[in-house]
This record gives sequence, C-alpha cells and structure tokens, in this order.
Amino acid sequence: MLRIEFRIRPAGISSKLFDLEEQIKSIEVDNALPVTNNAVFLFLTVQFDADISEESLSDQLPGIEIIDISKTEMNPHTYYFGMISDLSDASILTLLTENQAIPHRLVAQNAHLDVIASVRDWNHLKDVADTVENKHGSLELVGTTQTESIGFPLGGNKIKQSMSGKLSDKQLEVLETAYRMGYFKVPQEVTAEEIASELDISRSTLSERLRRVEHNFCALLFGPQK
Amino acid sequence: MTTIIILKSIEKKSTVKEILNSVVDPDEMIYFLRLPPVRCLGPLIQNINPMIEYGVEYSIDCLSEGYETSDLVEFAVDVGADRICIEISNRTVTGKARIDDLTESILLHDRISGDFVVGDHVIVLEELEYEA
Repeated sequence: MLRIEFRIRPAGISSKLFDLEEQIKSIEVDNALPVTNNAVFLFLTVQFDADISEESLSDQLPGIEIIDISKTEMNPHTYYFGMISDLSDASILTLLTENQAIPHRLVAQNAHLDVIASVRDWNHLKDVADTVENKHGSLELVGTTQTESIGFPLGGNKIKQSMSGKLSDKQLEVLETAYRMGYFKVPQEVTAEEIASELDISRSTLSERLRRVEHNFCALLFGPQK
Repeated sequence: MTTIIILKSIEKKSTVKEILNSVVDPDEMIYFLRLPPVRCLGPLIQNINPMIEYGVEYSIDCLSEGYETSDLVEFAVDVGADRICIEISNRTVTGKARIDDLTESILLHDRISGDFVVGDHVIVLEELEYEA
C-alpha cells in the first residue's frame, strides 16, 4: 500500500470559503458524512485572519447550512465548523472514495489544497491521479511512502481529535516534525539542532514549544496543576 | 533482469551502492543513466566498481539536454528494463519521499506500469510492463 500526498487547486468547500470577504489562513476537513438528497455533513477547522461572525458567513454562503461554530481554545481566530452542504462541496473526498482511495488529510492553504490518501499500488495511484486531474484540471504529486496499514482515515484519529485545540498549530508542527524525524526514538535519530534547522526556528524556541506540548499533554492526562 | 539506475547527481554514491547491494542481483545488466546537467559518471562508477564488487554487467548512458519523459521510457523499452531505480533526493516534513517532476512524470506516464516500492533512499519501479 502507498500513502501519497498530492496538491490541487482549492475545490468544493475550500474554494467557496476562500472566496469569502473574511481572509482565511487554512481550512482542514476533519470529517464528512453523507446525508440524504445529495447533501453532506462537513466538519472543518478553519483559521481566519481575524474573528468572524456566524451571520456574516451565513449570508455569504447560500445553500450551506451552518449548524455549529465554536472557537478553538489555543489558536487565534480558529473555528470548528459543522455544516450541511451539497455533496459537490466534498468533491475531492467523493472522488477519492469512489476510486477506493482512502482519504487521510485535506488541508487548504496558500491557494492550494494538500491531500494525503492511501492507494493500493502504482496502477491505483495512476487511476486516482488521472481521475482527480481530469476533474480538477491540476494535480502535483508531492510525496509518497510505503505503508503496511491504512492508518487513520479522515475523521478516524480520536486521539488527535481529543488533542485538537489543546495544542497550538506551532506546537503540533514541532511535535510532528520531531516525531517524524526520529527525535523520540532511542537512540535519537536526529538532534534538536537538526529539527530546529528543519523548522527554521532557534534551538531555544524548539525546546520551549516541546516543553509546552509536554505540559499540555500532562494537563490533559492528569488535570490542571494546583 | 535489467535495471536502469537514474542518476541526477554524482554525489549519491551511497544510494547507488544501496541499490547494488539490496535491489539488484549478481549477473544483472545495469544501465547507469545520466540525466543533464550531470556531465560525467566515470569517476563515480570507477569508485563503486560494479563488475568486481557486485558482479554485474553495466553500461553508462545518457539522455540529451531537453529530454522528455517519453525519451526515458523509450530508452527503458529499448533496453528491456525490468526495473527503474530513482534516488530519493529529499523528504517531506511528514517523512514521505518527495516526488520531483521527473519522478511524477514517470509514475503517471501512460506507457509504463508495474510495482512501486519506496525504500529508504530509492524509489524502485519493478516488474515493469510497457504499453505499445
């Protein structure tokens, strides 16, 4: 099985949200569940440039029923959305699942949509890429890795969902990079300096963010400090 | 078996050695394929010494400036390549092998298919089949 990462132009709900008057930094699709009459429940995490009002968004999104908006605890101007939308607003997800590819992550930012999905093999990759390119007019393969298991499909990572909002984006980025590069392995496969260099931050900033992550993990496990 | 090793630089001696050690078998035919702007593979191949150290036959070939992926596929068809090895030049932040333009165009090319294996330093396309 292959895990692939590819990039396309924003489509569906991400394209509509980028057209809002409010400036958006990023949109992550957390989950999507089908509803009758070609509709879909969409659950999103959206980071704006400034605080927003539900009324203004609803006015600008005809045909989309916003059922819930809540602000995250840690990241500024970042909101969880629950909405009922037309199935076409989840077109990339539909394309992936119709072609039996397993979606893992969809994040839109900087005028592109990054997608991580699992496919069976090379031929399956070609089929999926061909379908997506025909439908969306663009596709750039970014990365790939071999994997034995499908991992967490979109919406399936309960731990991550529990932690979402408890860690800031920068803390998550530090944690994920450190983990991916082997910082937590014994023996360590990478030094703190190398991770700091990868992230283009100082060694002390890296250390501070990792300690905040550890603190937040402990707070979640053991409750707040007295 | 016939293997093409695509070389996009002359600094990947360890990658070539990994391929010769763990991917190809002795007595295979290896085509070291130099891509522009790489100019000369002689010193690299001499240093690795494929015939003596790994027991393989080899040839050094190149694609001309302005080559297209179809030229590479044509070369693979001409030599009857069962396998193509492409070095992984770097990785994404999440640890995936980064796919450059060349690798993408080979992977998505209509005429070539087979198995796809991602190693530590190399992407191996094997059991290749070619459309007419």
